[in-house]
Amino acid sequence: MSGQALPLEITDLRTTLFTRRGEMKAVDGLSLSVGAGETVALVGESGCGKSLSALSVMRLLPDPPARIVGGQVKLNGRDIVPLPEEAMLGIRGKEIGMIFQDPISSLNPVTTVEKQIVEVLMTHTELGRGQARVRAHELLELVGMPDAARRLDAYPHQLSGGMCQRVVIAMAIACSPSVLIADEPTTALDVTVQAQVLALLKKLQADAGMAMIFITHDLGVVAETADRVVVMYAGRKVEEASVDELFENPLHPYTVGLIGATPTPGAERAERLADIPGMVPPLNALPQGCAFAPRCKRVMDRCLTEKPALTVPGPGRLVACFAAQGG
Amino acid sequence: MSLLSLRDVRVQFNTAGGVVRAVNGVSLDLAVGETLGLVGESGCGKSTLGKAIMKLVPVSGGAIVVEGVDIAPLNRAQLTDMRRKVQMIFQDPYGSLNPRSTVGRSVAQPMVLAGWKPEATAERVETLLRWVGLPSDAKQRYPHEFSGGQRQRIGIARALALSPKLIICDEPVSALDVSVRAQVINLLEDLKSQFGVSYLFISHDLSVVEHIADRVAVMYLGMLFEVGGRDQIWKSPQHPYTRALLAAAPIANPKLARARQRTVLQGELPSPLNPPPGCPFNSRCPMAQDRCRVEKPVLRPVANGAQAACHFV
Amino acid sequence: MQRFEFPRFEFVGRFARNRGALVGACLILVVALMAVFASVFFPTDPLRIVGLPELWPGEDPEFPLGTDSLGRDILSMIVHGARATLLIGLFASAVATIIGVGVGAIAGYFGGWVDEISMRVAELFQTIPNLIFVLTIVVILGSTLTNIVIAIGIVSWTPIARMTRAEFLSLRDREFVQACRSMGMSDLRIIVSEILPNALPPVIVLSSLVVAGAILFESAVSFLGLGDPNVASWGRLVGDGRQLIRSSWYICAIPGIAIMITVLCLNLVGDGLNDALNPKLRDR
Ligand SMILES: Nc1ncnc2c1ncn2[C@@H]1O[C@H](COP(=O)(O)OP(=O)(O)OP(=O)(O)O)[C@@H](O)[C@H]1O
Ligand SMILES: Nc1ncnc2c1ncn2[C@@H]1O[C@H](COP(=O)(O)OP(=O)(O)O)[C@@H](O)[C@H]1O
Ligand code: SF4
Ligand code: SF4
Ligand SMILES: [Mg+2]
Ligand SMILES: [Mg+2]
Repeated sequence: MSGQALPLEITDLRTTLFTRRGEMKAVDGLSLSVGAGETVALVGESGCGKSLSALSVMRLLPDPPARIVGGQVKLNGRDIVPLPEEAMLGIRGKEIGMIFQDPISSLNPVTTVEKQIVEVLMTHTELGRGQARVRAHELLELVGMPDAARRLDAYPHQLSGGMCQRVVIAMAIACSPSVLIADEPTTALDVTVQAQVLALLKKLQADAGMAMIFITHDLGVVAETADRVVVMYAGRKVEEASVDELFENPLHPYTVGLIGATPTPGAERAERLADIPGMVPPLNALPQGCAFAPRCKRVMDRCLTEKPALTVPGPGRLVACFAAQGG
Repeated sequence: MSLLSLRDVRVQFNTAGGVVRAVNGVSLDLAVGETLGLVGESGCGKSTLGKAIMKLVPVSGGAIVVEGVDIAPLNRAQLTDMRRKVQMIFQDPYGSLNPRSTVGRSVAQPMVLAGWKPEATAERVETLLRWVGLPSDAKQRYPHEFSGGQRQRIGIARALALSPKLIICDEPVSALDVSVRAQVINLLEDLKSQFGVSYLFISHDLSVVEHIADRVAVMYLGMLFEVGGRDQIWKSPQHPYTRALLAAAPIANPKLARARQRTVLQGELPSPLNPPPGCPFNSRCPMAQDRCRVEKPVLRPVANGAQAACHFV
Repeated sequence: MQRFEFPRFEFVGRFARNRGALVGACLILVVALMAVFASVFFPTDPLRIVGLPELWPGEDPEFPLGTDSLGRDILSMIVHGARATLLIGLFASAVATIIGVGVGAIAGYFGGWVDEISMRVAELFQTIPNLIFVLTIVVILGSTLTNIVIAIGIVSWTPIARMTRAEFLSLRDREFVQACRSMGMSDLRIIVSEILPNALPPVIVLSSLVVAGAILFESAVSFLGLGDPNVASWGRLVGDGRQLIRSSWYICAIPGIAIMITVLCLNLVGDGLNDALNPKLRDR
């Protein structure tokens, strides 16, 4: 890897929401890098800023109210935050692809599947229409679309959620991007279809050596897909570790809580789930010190006034918690 | 005598595209104090079965026996007694409360309908809110002032109002975040040990069902494929569909996840308008044979002590 | 993602954000005050002859809006006419709303053949030419205020019925309604106390537009000389001035402008209500 830039390197990304109720730091200093062929899971409950982080990286924020106010997003070594929108058009879909949670609404309802894929191909490659159509068929085969030849002429509403997600994946990988961001790509799908889509993403990633950010709130899916995990809470990264270390020895009380709250068949059965009291605070009412303090079992005086910074408790690990750092 | 016993229950809907047999001959027993998990993919008929028991959808055949009384032929006026025994909690915390009613009014409804005096009703509302862990000033507030988890608690309070024996929980935690989901699951379990209520727990999340259920029923296109104790189902699933479902469910433990043998089930749930003839699973089943395409299997006792509906187990 | 909103307070703010609606509401308020306090401002009977006939506006400071062909004070007649005009509008709209909400609620809630029949009936009413229907009723049953109000109500209920039906269709399968059913609540009670309060906002918008429509209907009826002879509504004033339209056109024009402004304001208020009550436009 030495000398060569990582596919995606996010440094101190800050995204703020400018609303009538005031400014809210939705993403507050997120740093994250993903290597080629690596899957980093971004985990946290609803409202923790996962989707806005992804949209910031894609430069697809809803503006207003959201705007990037600081930080760098280096895509293959180039910072894309200052780039004009026209430059982003050439980058999105080519160097970086994204898959959304709701597959049906991320497709154009009035255009056939084939046309949508062909359009992506013709925007970003030299292919002519005829070649693009051949490639579209290949892509549908690649993403395991049953009866691919016939589905080319289908409209999104004629397909099931799982098939739509396959089309979205086909479009996202059409130009072999080096980075793929998947925002809860299986949340709307059934377990069996979820397993199919996860297996597909893994295979495509392994074949092409893509860097992948996988956003989810489901720790089961994390355990199945991720190499490394970043846990987010209230817009900040609170812990980062390899997937094995995170599940074996979680350090941040929020991570501990999430794991305890997730029932795990086959593991030692706890009589009660270890729930986290309370809920994620709204962004305009964050506590002054550690944002997790009102729900934390290990809270100390210091946590109420000071925000814990990220520290390195061991090789390849990061945690932002006073208790985990030993006081 | 079991608390609830279903015999060959059928529900069908006439739609523009044809007849949907949403529940197609389900037989099931639920004992007092038991939690029965009902799992299956979206659209397989879980909610419809729950609503059939509540008589919220027209039941086109079979018997629904609650404490010895078949309620399937009864009309609404004759159901008063049964309504006290069986209650329901709904999936959508945003849709299950009237947005223009205060929480107090929503929770009081069952008592009001049962003809309680206002003082007794008010007192009961206080008690119920306390049981589900809500502050008592909640009763003057409106649903939009509460989070999803709190709304689900309000729904639980309403279901508990007349001390039911059975609560049908239709995906009560599916719309909730992980930490809040655990809170609600714990609450349901506490209420069960406190009041001895039974649950029919509908969910598509297998790990939640594994945690909460004593017995499990697996549903596919309107019929039950396997019914058995939780450990029987998880340790030695017999039906090919149950096995596929368990293999597909993610496990929140990277070592276990990597260690297990995984064959991903191909295809998707067929359209309920046009189910395959014979065994409805034959279009996806790795074991399917000619017989499966003509003859529909029925639930029968199998090796692990459970019941399964497959010609070849 | 929880959102804490307080609909009651925010409603006023959202309504006021629509400038047109605010202006409309203020003008309607002025007209309403005129109607209420008409006898305070002009204690004498507006139909009494008080001055020279056909005085142009401004000609005599005592009659700022002039006098009509008989020498009656136009300003006084406008102020008193506001009462009749607004009441006709409100009552006709009330009739239309009661019929429309009743039919729409039953059709939407029960669905099936009840719905089929109700909607066929609604279609039937829609195909009847409205003005001709109103005129026919008035001619056959007599030119009384009640008949006019009922006739206008009968031709105006169908859009309200459709809107109510659509709301009921989308609300009746919501889980809170299912919850009420599962508790054994009667259909009537579910319709009236559970679904209706949720279905009303868009219906209110429509009802406010029906008020405007009714005022226009009544004006047309009166203009044609078929209005209630005992009621001096604005429409009647326009009708009375008809003969002199070539020479003293202001006699027609002044009540006509009053009608136009009121109808326009009611439409603006309707728009504002729609913005304020329609959740899809919230938080823009
Ligand atoms: N367009 C917007 N306007 C105002 N606030 C917003 C907007 N989009 C997101 N937010 C707020 O930003 C925060 C983070 O949102 P984001 O969608 O990234 O969270 P998430 O973790 O992905 O949640 P979910 O799982 O519910 O999608 C939340 O508090 C949310 O309410
Ligand atoms: N009111 C209805 N009219 C027509 N079809 C319905 C109705 N309710 C449910 N269905 C159909 O019945 C089947 C089972 O639905 P449901 O019980 O809601 O599934 P689940 O809860 O397992 O997701 C589905 O195919 C669904 O489309
Ligand atoms: S810093 Fe304090 S409050 Fe925050 S997670 Fe650590 S112990 Fe808990
Ligand atoms: S009956 Fe046949 S198709 Fe059905 S599950 Fe058994 S083997 Fe598979
Ligand atoms: Mg999200
Ligand atoms: Mg359901």
